[in-house]
Amino acid sequence: MKPASFEYVTARTVEEAVRALADSEGEGKCLAGGQSLVPLMNFRLARPPLLVDLGQVDELRQLRHDDDGSLVVGALVTHREVAGSPLIAERVPLLAEAAREVGHAAIRNRGTIGGSFAHADPVAELPCVGLTLDAEIVAAGPHRRRTIAAADFFQGPFTTALAADEVLVEIRFPASGAERSGWAFCELARRRGDLAVVGVAAQLERRGQRLSARIGLAGVAGRPVRAVAAEAGLSGATPDAASFRAAGEAVAASLAPPSDIHGSAALRRRVASVLTERALERAARRLEAA
Amino acid sequence: MTEQARPSFIGARVKRLEDPRLLRGHGRYVADVRLPGALEVAFVRSEMPHADITAVDAGAAREHPGVVRVLTGSDELVAGREIRGDWRGEIWQTSAQPALAGDRVRFVGQPIAAVVATSRYVAEDAASLVVADYRELQPLTSARASLSDGAPLLHEGWTRNFFRHSHFLGGDPDAAFAAADGVLELRTATQRQTGMPLETRGCVADYDVVSGSLTVWMTNQMPSVVRTSLADVLGVEENRVRVVAPDIGGGFGVKAYLYPEDVVVCLLAMELGRPVRWIEDRREHLLAAIHARQQEHRVQVAYRADGKVLAIRAEVLVDSGAFSVHPWTAGLEAGNALSLLPGPYTIGDYECDAYAVATNKSPFGPVRGVARPAAALSTERAMDQVARATGLDPIEVRRRNLIDARDCPYTTVTGNLIDSASFQEALDRLCEVADYPQLRRQQAEAREAGRLLGIGVACYAEQGASGIHEYLRRGMPTIFGYETALVRMDPSGKVLVEVTTHSHGQGHETTIAQVVATRLQVPLQDVRVVYGDTSRMPYGMGTFGSRSIVMAGGAASAAADKVRLKLEQFAAHLLEISADDLETVDGAVRAKGAPFRSIPISELARAAYHQPHRLPQGMQPLLEAVSTYDTERGTGTWTNACHLALVELDPGLGLLDVQKYVVVHDCGVIVNPTIVEGQLHGGIAHGIGGALLEELVYDEWGQPLSTTFMDYLLPSATEVPRIEAHHIETPSPFSATGSKGMGEGGAIAPGPVLAAALEDALRPLGEVVVTELPLTPERVLRYVDEARGAAADASGDR
Amino acid sequence: MSERVFRFRLNGTEVEGRAEPRRLLSDYLRDDLGLTGTHVGCEHGICGACTIHLNGRAVRSCLLFACQVDGAEVRTVEGLADARDPLSPLQEAFWEHHGLQCGFCTPGMLMTAAELLETNPDPTEGEIREAISGNLCRCTGYVFIVDAIRAAADKLGARGAERQ
Repeated sequence: MKPASFEYVTARTVEEAVRALADSEGEGKCLAGGQSLVPLMNFRLARPPLLVDLGQVDELRQLRHDDDGSLVVGALVTHREVAGSPLIAERVPLLAEAAREVGHAAIRNRGTIGGSFAHADPVAELPCVGLTLDAEIVAAGPHRRRTIAAADFFQGPFTTALAADEVLVEIRFPASGAERSGWAFCELARRRGDLAVVGVAAQLERRGQRLSARIGLAGVAGRPVRAVAAEAGLSGATPDAASFRAAGEAVAASLAPPSDIHGSAALRRRVASVLTERALERAARRLEAA
Repeated sequence: MTEQARPSFIGARVKRLEDPRLLRGHGRYVADVRLPGALEVAFVRSEMPHADITAVDAGAAREHPGVVRVLTGSDELVAGREIRGDWRGEIWQTSAQPALAGDRVRFVGQPIAAVVATSRYVAEDAASLVVADYRELQPLTSARASLSDGAPLLHEGWTRNFFRHSHFLGGDPDAAFAAADGVLELRTATQRQTGMPLETRGCVADYDVVSGSLTVWMTNQMPSVVRTSLADVLGVEENRVRVVAPDIGGGFGVKAYLYPEDVVVCLLAMELGRPVRWIEDRREHLLAAIHARQQEHRVQVAYRADGKVLAIRAEVLVDSGAFSVHPWTAGLEAGNALSLLPGPYTIGDYECDAYAVATNKSPFGPVRGVARPAAALSTERAMDQVARATGLDPIEVRRRNLIDARDCPYTTVTGNLIDSASFQEALDRLCEVADYPQLRRQQAEAREAGRLLGIGVACYAEQGASGIHEYLRRGMPTIFGYETALVRMDPSGKVLVEVTTHSHGQGHETTIAQVVATRLQVPLQDVRVVYGDTSRMPYGMGTFGSRSIVMAGGAASAAADKVRLKLEQFAAHLLEISADDLETVDGAVRAKGAPFRSIPISELARAAYHQPHRLPQGMQPLLEAVSTYDTERGTGTWTNACHLALVELDPGLGLLDVQKYVVVHDCGVIVNPTIVEGQLHGGIAHGIGGALLEELVYDEWGQPLSTTFMDYLLPSATEVPRIEAHHIETPSPFSATGSKGMGEGGAIAPGPVLAAALEDALRPLGEVVVTELPLTPERVLRYVDEARGAAADASGDR
Repeated sequence: MSERVFRFRLNGTEVEGRAEPRRLLSDYLRDDLGLTGTHVGCEHGICGACTIHLNGRAVRSCLLFACQVDGAEVRTVEGLADARDPLSPLQEAFWEHHGLQCGFCTPGMLMTAAELLETNPDPTEGEIREAISGNLCRCTGYVFIVDAIRAAADKLGARGAERQ
């Protein structure tokens, strides 16, 4: 299990990285924390002829909030930093909660949010949260930077809207505008730290008297998905056990998940329903406490 | 002066003598062996479960820079190099596994070519260039499919697709079934699992062309046996073969074989005249190291209304994979299941048919517990069903069926001789230390609150230290049973002990030293225990089957006694008193009742080497002895234990949370309680993995799906609970130290315990019988549905 | 592929390294530098046997290319205590509490535990189990490893208290 040969360049700036990718005619790959890419390379399931190491690009380590209230997380911010950052805990606590479910300490020490988004594993936690919160992904290409809505970014298993010569720069989590919110990330993993079989991100938001819900699911399709019907059902509803149960049932009805050795389609559908209900209950408790 | 107590290290919680080097990262494992000029091997493995190889194109690989040799199955070098694991049994069909498959492959992962290159990186580059063409044959992917009419035969000359069929009939089951108050039937199933040590396999071979001698560093639990087997297969004189098993990163049975890869690496080293090294990667390990545990049982149980189990009829199907392994054969799991299914109970009427069935999967071998996890699942689930049918508590049913310790040595219906035991006492003790009544109250309260708690219990007897008689009875020609130790006291009085077992976690450097230091009455730090190098050590079996403390301890004890006797005879000569009037105590040989007449051992040792003129007539210099050892009747020892778990079921997600795990354990005289507890914890964790997580999945076309550590799930610190262990010490009447083997037992019970606990937790939802492991969320939710369905049916009846 | 040259500090000593880009740090440490205390158990980041410290953080050395450590501080199990020095308090605690059997997972387990105690000097049993859940051990069932780490925390805590 040794990787195939490749050329290796270290970029100092985003522009250098983009140029290196462009020069490789779409064959190069960015190396961030390497926690998903390197295992694939060791199995020789990935054999990129060029790796562009982003480790020295300081711009990608930013973690800040912008004037419009959105939180900006640089691509190289690690899972550990996401899980532990007071800023994220305050602004996007759902993201912090999900990051604590990612892998183990040593994986969180290296793994990055940008890497997780770009890898786009359909069972991954952080892309699911990105979709749930309508995050925007900023990508730099040879000619311009562009912003891609999460809903457009995740296209399928391990497939994103990033072009081969684009570098994922940062992820923006817009301010929800809600006066109060409650959140929860719940998942079924076979062991602590394993990739989720199914994960559910839920956020309840209150604006005035009006309640709205965001529900995102991982592990039930080729990419993270929103539980649109369940969200609609909860809109304006009373946040109680019955409405959460109904949301869970709506989720189950809407899915046609894949099967693998960790869970059949039936299991995933069923568990998605249970987790949705539980995530909403926990989110509601936090909403109450807010 | 009053009688001075003879210092003893038996029973002492001594810190392990091997630990400092391991803690510093200075262990020396096979992958750490660096030889100048060594070449590395990567194997090309079959991607087909069952196919004829029509062509192998290695041209591009041979041209690849850095490649020294590409060997394929049709090469003269490997012609006729086959591995056989034969059994002397009534119904047996053998197989011959080629070192490299030449014309036919029989499982995915079977080696078909080997690439030798300047580094493993380059070897893998070139291995990916080797292209094999296949003509596919129908894959047989389950035991039932293999035995079905019209299934293609897996090996030449076979009549049906099994290695072994054994039939056993003891007592009069027909009469017992006729007289029974009730009969119940169970179908249990366990899946493919394995030992999965953290260190993969490895082999480094170095051939000295001048002397014609071959040195092989191997991850092997049985260096003596594998040396003979290697010499046989390679055609090298055995006195020119040296096998070194250095530090090994866990074995669990997986490293107790001669594997085809070992043969290929040695052949390459001999041909090339350069050291050749193969360090297996994890994917290879999951594909091609031995598998275990996949069994299906159909069990009928006859019982009386008072809970007494009268008779068992069973059919055992073991999905044994493609080849019979050496030296353990493909038949051991089937044989053990047949032999041990009646458990620690007084069941006198028993009939069983056991089949070791050939399939297109990785070959099967014995792994920690060998068939007992499956056998105990059937036996213990049967006890629980009898409890339900008779309205008795599961503990009470076991109490009424366990062998009475006072009847030991007790011969079971299948002829196993249980040396001594504490079955009833252990069960009583378990109820007491776990506070069973309180756990039942806690469960009732939780149920009131809508939570699903379950309690499971299981008992077992663990056969260990099997010796000459036992292996003769089992019909295994290469397994001879005894162990050997050499004890050498040097001129300074320090002691070197060579044992033929191998320690890869079990702590022999400490426990064998405790035994020898006690026998010789020398300080513990003066005894050094080594093992694993056939150029120094005497000949013996190795480490497997819960044997080392009994067998190596027994051999070391006997050899130490010879040395002590010689010291005493020498001292008798010098002191001019009869040796019968001398004793060895705390570093000196002295006159009984007159301890001031004594000679320090260190002085005797120096004289025995350097002053031969002082020795008595006829006594040779040197203080050295070799002893082989077997237990008194060659039938080994039997440890007994009871396990209990309290679990909480999450019926939404199908997860079991093990909240409490208690074991009461009796392995006779304990040499080092800390080490015994460590073995128990590890075995139980292995068993919990087997009960909840681990599964080597093959799809219906014979493709393995569990090829990474993301698919084959070992339990981590968050899945294994704190384990409480309590000891009883009933000495073995048959072993030198009174100890009994215990390395495997922990892994036997967690399956039945957790199955019972799940069934018990589900009771408020409805009645089900949990019979299939591992309890993945998928299976657990199926049982949840079944329980709810059963409840719905039951209410519908009303 | 051409070799890369990189400089880093290894267990306190400056090293100038040279390796082709694909060479895994685990192989580089073990085979090129002879530091075989770092073990390789799965080469896909699951087992934790190859855990080392990179700039003070526990990481998998099988998921890093050697050339990536340019400019970094690397610490391996050999850096916990010099061969002739006494064992570190953490290693001592593993010895006292039988926190190892075959020794193969041990170096990675020690490096993970060392990071835990540096960031959380007084962990609960649950926190210890969570922290080491990415380090697989097949021998011990973890019970005595958890005990050892807790004992090391006590030992280090007492030592800290003495200093004050």
